[in-house]
Amino acid sequence: MSGALDSAPAVEGNERLLVGAGLLLLVVAPFILGPFQTGLLAEVLIFGIFATAFNLLYGYTGLLSFGHGMFFAVAGYTMAKTVQTVGPMLGFGELFGGASVLATWLFGLVLAILVTVLVAMAIGYLAVQLEEIYFAMITLSFTMAIYAIANQDIIGTLLEFLGMGNGTFTNGSDGLTFTLGEVDLFGFTFTLVDIADPFAYYFFTIAIFAVTMYLLYRIVKSPFGTVCKAIRENPERASALGINITRHSWVTFVLSGGFSGLAGGLLIPLFTNVTPRYAYWAFSAEPVLMTVIGGPYSFFGPLVGAFSYRYLRWFISRFEMLEAYWQFSFGLLLLLVVLFVANGVIGAPKQVRSWLDSRGE
Amino acid sequence: MGSDHMKHSDGAGKTSSGRVNRRSFLAAAGTGTAVALAGCSGGGGDTVRIGGIYLISGLAQALGTSSENAARAAVDDINENGGINGNDVEITIRDHGSQPAQTIRSLVQEDNSDLLIGITSSGVGLATAPTIESLGVPFIATDIGTPYITEFDTEAYGDYYESDDGKAALKPNIFRSTANTSHMTYGIAKFIADNYGAMRVANMGPDYAYGEQCWEYFKAYSEGLGVDHEYVASEFPSLGASDMTPQINSVLSNDPDLVFTSFWAGDSTTFMSQAAEQGLFDEVEDVFDTIGADPTVFSALGDTTPEGIHLSGWYWPTAYDNEYNQAFLDKYESMYADENVPSIPGFTGGQTWGAVQTYKQVIESVGSLNSDDIISELEGFTFEEDPRGPVTYDADSHQAQAPVTLGTTSFDVDVPYDGAGLADIQKYTITRDESLELLDGSGLGPGM
Repeated sequence: MSGALDSAPAVEGNERLLVGAGLLLLVVAPFILGPFQTGLLAEVLIFGIFATAFNLLYGYTGLLSFGHGMFFAVAGYTMAKTVQTVGPMLGFGELFGGASVLATWLFGLVLAILVTVLVAMAIGYLAVQLEEIYFAMITLSFTMAIYAIANQDIIGTLLEFLGMGNGTFTNGSDGLTFTLGEVDLFGFTFTLVDIADPFAYYFFTIAIFAVTMYLLYRIVKSPFGTVCKAIRENPERASALGINITRHSWVTFVLSGGFSGLAGGLLIPLFTNVTPRYAYWAFSAEPVLMTVIGGPYSFFGPLVGAFSYRYLRWFISRFEMLEAYWQFSFGLLLLLVVLFVANGVIGAPKQVRSWLDSRGE
Repeated sequence: MGSDHMKHSDGAGKTSSGRVNRRSFLAAAGTGTAVALAGCSGGGGDTVRIGGIYLISGLAQALGTSSENAARAAVDDINENGGINGNDVEITIRDHGSQPAQTIRSLVQEDNSDLLIGITSSGVGLATAPTIESLGVPFIATDIGTPYITEFDTEAYGDYYESDDGKAALKPNIFRSTANTSHMTYGIAKFIADNYGAMRVANMGPDYAYGEQCWEYFKAYSEGLGVDHEYVASEFPSLGASDMTPQINSVLSNDPDLVFTSFWAGDSTTFMSQAAEQGLFDEVEDVFDTIGADPTVFSALGDTTPEGIHLSGWYWPTAYDNEYNQAFLDKYESMYADENVPSIPGFTGGQTWGAVQTYKQVIESVGSLNSDDIISELEGFTFEEDPRGPVTYDADSHQAQAPVTLGTTSFDVDVPYDGAGLADIQKYTITRDESLELLDGSGLGPGM
């Protein structure tokens, strides 16, 4: 049974079929799942974007960032500021009428990507000068710096010093809470983010998810992605081939940051609030864990990891005994995955198959 | 406030019209699933389900656990006495987890909770308020201090959800059974005004919104009371800090007469033991704390608790001489005497027990589990049997008008652990109008 499955074209065909079936399932899912599961699925898909974007740097280029939470946080704050301040300031209400909530949200997403790209350019320029553990440490330092800036509301204090505002900008540890309400689009009305039942937001999410994953896929399959892998495998040799490693890593860092920003801008409205905790180092561990669980050497690994990670957590919450010690149960289950599945969850079917084959011999 | 209500009911109306396709689809395709699910849940359609969310892991574990214990004691008590309208009560209590909003949704949408209680952090309370509003289920906050969540005057203080400096965050279905920071700091400011007058005052508190708010409100109330303190230092060690000595020494070097603090749970223990080591309690006249008085803190400190300082609290078990408090204490002791926790309730005990018992009376009064009916009955409802004495939920702010206690630490108090307790307890109450007058010009809302 192994021969046919191992041949390359069949796998390619299978992959395409799987992606098609997956997308179809995603479209049908909210009609079958309840409101709670629909929200959870939207969240998992956005974390999938986040982890895949992170993996551009980790799995493909060999740079372990321990500070990707900063992009998520910066994007989240940008979205919150757009909804609370920028949108009203630009008169979105009068300009777009019933569609103003939708317009504000789209504008917020674009701004979130732009701002994170700028942040990633600045931080990335410094970070890619280093490698390995030093790279992980410098990204961690930057995310903690952003955490402190948000938590101490340093921007607010500075603005007040300059005579603007009254000392609040990020609102310290409480962060910013906001909702995206009614949209009236040519007579069709819906709540953009209905927290109890995010049905509408789910469809916006899967549309953006599909486009983003396609873009990321094209990036890793392009010559650009191949250069990334070359850097991962052997920086010296890649350099000898004429590749400017620092520059290429920098561009990858910015791309990874920008897509992470998109994930942050997309997820924060669903959570209805952004706090400094997204820039705290512990949150930056989430895409790392998801990727390691799912498998960093496969394009869909981080996405599978995001699914496994969140649904495992959900599964634990359904059992009172496991939930009472959820950190312990979660850690134990993750440990099992890491110990027994060499290439992440995505590699598990293959591993089981080869194990079965070896027993058959 | 009015528009808030409107928006809420408006949203609910639109939801159904916008989802017609989906709902009808569900009705057709999901019937089988629904039948199967009904079978799973045991068919107890009349059971009253309460969902609770507390920090029962990590830093504030002792605090969340004491609330959980009080809630479970109340449920047990209700079930022993015929349930609610003859129906059994079930309670599910979950940890905040990393995404509290989702935990709350799960409590309602997966566990089918009819009523909610909980939250062990003001920040989480404010962040999850839109989620709670969206779910529409009655919610009584038992453990949070921020005045914002019960402030309704968005015109005077700004809408919390629409600007970075808004201070009015009330939602239609959120109530609070515990006194808030505005009330607590008033008690301390009043005590100091009556007993000390203008002094050199220093502040220490945890480095997050709660610590900052306590200090702001304390200063505003002191000014409102006409006491012209000199504020000599203000230090905020990080939440859960293991070493506070740099901040303690910095405060001491400014030679204050009084030290105002807003530590709680583990931070209270850390502060008191390290301040004692640095000799702080010998060098200043008095030390105050907002919500540090808790059996877990006193039993952890043992005989090192500084005597004669003034601690305030939402609830102190021996502060109320009434049959309802006694019934609560008896029930609590009978349930937890053999457990590895103090067998008297902590500083969130009274209001958590009270919240659950309030739900019972309100539901029996409206005769159904309809959320909107329960919410409108709760507005202005007086719960006569609260351990802290009769408690009224204000119709506008949804804040329970319960007294706060301020007592002196003493080893002469009869407590079921080795350590100090609170003696010479005074109670402070304040109305919204009085608060408005005192806070005038500070930009801070009464939240009551």
